[in-house]
Amino acid sequence: MLKFAALQAGRLALGLLGATLLAAVISAIAAPRAPGLASFLGAAGLRLWAFVQFDFGKSAISGLMAADELGRRLPETMALVLAGGGLALMVGAPLGILFGASPVRRTAAPLMQIVTAAPVFCAGLALAYGAAHLLHWTVSINAPVAASAPIFSGETQFLELSALPVLTVGLAGAAAVQLALRRGAVENAGEAYRTGLKRMGLSALEIEWVYAVPKVIAGLLARAGDIMLALLSAAVVAEWVFHRAGAADLFVKSVALEDWNMTALILFIFAGLTFATDCAGRIGAYALANEGEE
Amino acid sequence: MSVTSPTPGAPMLSAALRLIGWGGLGLIVVAVSLSDFLAHAPAGAAGVGPVLSAPSEAFPFGTDLLGRDLLSETLHGLSVTAGHALLAAAVAIVVGGLFGAVAARLPRALSLTLRGAMGVLAAIPALLLAILVIGLSARLYAPLAAGLAAAPLAFVRGYDRVAAQSSSTHAEYARATGIAASTLLRRDLTYEFRDTLATVAARALAAVTIILSTVSFLGFGATPPSRDLGLMIAAAKANYLHAWWTAAFPALALVVLILCARLAAALGEGERP
Repeated sequence: MLKFAALQAGRLALGLLGATLLAAVISAIAAPRAPGLASFLGAAGLRLWAFVQFDFGKSAISGLMAADELGRRLPETMALVLAGGGLALMVGAPLGILFGASPVRRTAAPLMQIVTAAPVFCAGLALAYGAAHLLHWTVSINAPVAASAPIFSGETQFLELSALPVLTVGLAGAAAVQLALRRGAVENAGEAYRTGLKRMGLSALEIEWVYAVPKVIAGLLARAGDIMLALLSAAVVAEWVFHRAGAADLFVKSVALEDWNMTALILFIFAGLTFATDCAGRIGAYALANEGEE
Repeated sequence: MSVTSPTPGAPMLSAALRLIGWGGLGLIVVAVSLSDFLAHAPAGAAGVGPVLSAPSEAFPFGTDLLGRDLLSETLHGLSVTAGHALLAAAVAIVVGGLFGAVAARLPRALSLTLRGAMGVLAAIPALLLAILVIGLSARLYAPLAAGLAAAPLAFVRGYDRVAAQSSSTHAEYARATGIAASTLLRRDLTYEFRDTLATVAARALAAVTIILSTVSFLGFGATPPSRDLGLMIAAAKANYLHAWWTAAFPALALVVLILCARLAAALGEGERP
């Protein structure tokens, strides 16, 4: 277990190093320098050294330190990703288990294919339309009314404004969760231990609950990086569609206004989040799948 | 009910769905090729009908805020989106899939470095990569950017497939009998692409269509007067709450294109293209 965890930590460190190099190169675009490749590489080197010292430069838009600016926007995105992730588990886990049963899957497969073919922004707009017409909710599609509304707030209008972006992110994540569970289930379907356990006199329910379920959950954890990537991608679109002032929205504006220091920092944070989730998920999966074997 | 039961009859269902997907893509190619003939009005023609008219016999998809015929606009938009997506898919296949397969057979240190670098790019949402590439170049290059953004994942998949083949029996026998590494690579690439090209292409098409339409929706893709489906939906955002048809038909065309590509690639429900 320790060896595996060390290996994953090494992978995480290498991933973060790569993300830092990428961020330094992007940030160097904004650095004042002479023309030419050598000068650009020199600037990238200087930016890398600054990154190592936690100096991420200034935002070209606000003039504030990039880290401070991102610090104000990131909680919004993280709240969206966390709430969306929770919803993804609540919706995706039952779907994954249900679709593990072949007759249900065959019946629902065409509908699921259509739903998962819709890009996130189409899903967001459809949800907003439904909420406005069926539930008579206030939607923030065409006005930045949600910019100051925190995600976790008790007031009804704020909840309505927060529900749609969370739903959008959650549904995008749910597709990834159900797929991860279903794949975990398929990988375990043909395992030899089932026959042995049946011969030992265990019932099908006992085999599923005590042996199969932990391995299926391990399969889900092993794909945690993919799920995080799906949640982050959806958060970018959801923040734009519903006018949430988060880090993903800041990224889009930073690229549009050529604020490369901010762009570099946001990309680094997003890549770091994916790597960290992937690392934690793989270690958790290993621990769960090999429980009692060490 | 078991959580681990496999799906009986899955190969037949999968084959049928793939056939439907390729058939759908074929129909889309026909519709796109004949878009100038099928459309009632040229692309961007304003004042063809009344403003924000609901779907009717004269205007089956209705009209938008400028009185443009939405059936014609959707066909033209589909044509632009599909054309750009084909270009982007080609970039993703060559830069991602093909380069990944070749990289797996390069000297070990270089091969692992490339795999690591692409792994870093694959850890960033492809949408953000596409936006970054467009921001560094120009909106004109949106198809190229979408292809490049989809490439890291295609690279990783291609690399891992060929790397697995490197340790296969045929590769060991080939090395033992003194067959050159370049010959073995050529053999693997031939078989790899012969067997999987159609699937890889459909998968890439689905991935880049999503990226392209989303960057257009966010304002980084097509620029007027050339409108793709993403830009049409973005433009409809202001009115669609009271004129649903302005967004619904372009969105439907987009979903059908992605769905057909997904089915042709035999992707599972929810599987990332």
